Amino acid sequence: MGSEATLPEWASEPCIMGIDEAGRGPVLGPMVYACLYCPLSYKKTLATLSFADSKTLKEEKREELFEALKANDSIGWAVDVIDPKELSAKMLKKNKINLNEISHDSAMGLVDRVLKIGVLLTEVYIDTVGDPGKYEAKMSKNFPSIKFVVAKKADSLYPVVSGASIAAKVTRDRAVREWVLDETADNIQRNFGSGYPGDPATKSWLENHKHSIFGFPTLVRFSWGTCSTYFKSGAEVLWESDLDEDGNGNNSNGKRQLKLNNMGFTSSKKRSEEIESSGKGRSRFFQARKLEHLTHF
Amino acid sequence: MEKGGATKIDLNRDGVENLSGRVHLLPCCIKHDGPTEVSNYFKPKPSGVVGEDGLQLQQSHFRGRLLEGTSLQLPNNYSGFVLGKKNSSSKSVDSSDSWETLARFKHITYWNHDCVPSQNDDFFRAFHWITVAEALHNPVTPEELASFTL
Repeated sequence: MGSEATLPEWASEPCIMGIDEAGRGPVLGPMVYACLYCPLSYKKTLATLSFADSKTLKEEKREELFEALKANDSIGWAVDVIDPKELSAKMLKKNKINLNEISHDSAMGLVDRVLKIGVLLTEVYIDTVGDPGKYEAKMSKNFPSIKFVVAKKADSLYPVVSGASIAAKVTRDRAVREWVLDETADNIQRNFGSGYPGDPATKSWLENHKHSIFGFPTLVRFSWGTCSTYFKSGAEVLWESDLDEDGNGNNSNGKRQLKLNNMGFTSSKKRSEEIESSGKGRSRFFQARKLEHLTHF
Repeated sequence: MEKGGATKIDLNRDGVENLSGRVHLLPCCIKHDGPTEVSNYFKPKPSGVVGEDGLQLQQSHFRGRLLEGTSLQLPNNYSGFVLGKKNSSSKSVDSSDSWETLARFKHITYWNHDCVPSQNDDFFRAFHWITVAEALHNPVTPEELASFTL
């Protein structure tokens, strides 16, 4: 989603762009990355448009500002909505991708999109995720023609980033509000709250929508530590991919990430036997195909 | 009832529910035995990509993980059966080791975590046994025997 459909006439002038995110912390819903760009010559005017860090604004004010920036011919914008399913899946892969990497990739994707439609980006301002120096170096390496400024609190320091933060926050809020659930169970409520783990509304939604087998609807980010408390009462799940070749659990997980299956297992030997046949003691033909002789059941 | 006694399995193909397309083999062990709302929560979708050897690929999610799957037709002359222990309320002594057919299936959807299904996966390779078994167990006709003489 964005304003890419029409290439503005100022696209060939040197342009600045701001990038910010919304919905990084919440345990449910998408994470949204947004960018806002305009000609360098518009920078001074942009500063007068009273964009501020989206978190300091009331919801109605953010909506109003977002509509204003969409209608402004001197401003272009784009968003990247990252589905919670994608966040969970990447963070729970065998080779886990952490949230910082996902964030960096999204920001790079936005820069790439805007360059591809033909906007001459010369300066890009980004609110940092992780170490600003490393992030800046990574961006500069990928896009050598652009000057990157990666900073903490960039959303309150640079109006172009404040504008991006408004686009991100409004898009995230709308996405959650209008979220189409994958699940067809008819007892799913929509009172998600803000999605932040500390929000009482979110807490009670999680409590009311935990499922002993499936865990949660896929709107929830299963890789968030918050989820673990809710899974304790559910059925235990042991994954083949969490076992290394000797059948031992492979516990190389990041701090924020949760092993969904580390509750109440016995010895690791037993676990691998429970999960798959080994074909032990038989011809290699059977061993290689995990075929076992079943004598009684 | 004594252990090691004969097991009786009643394979009934007619009049039982056909579960084709609804049987899933997941790459995990779920410590639960019983019904659950599979069709409401487990939503496979075609991934829009065709895998090696023309496998039609699907994607789904379980407990936050991305699963990559494909539907597999069981070989000709083979069927899948869901068995349940026969209700042993009757007086018969061996009834506790007696099984009946609850459902059958001709397709199974097989899922991997993190990697696309391939014909080289153990599960696919297990079906090689059927070819080997046929070669081993098919009776040899006198004509065939004659044609093999040196």
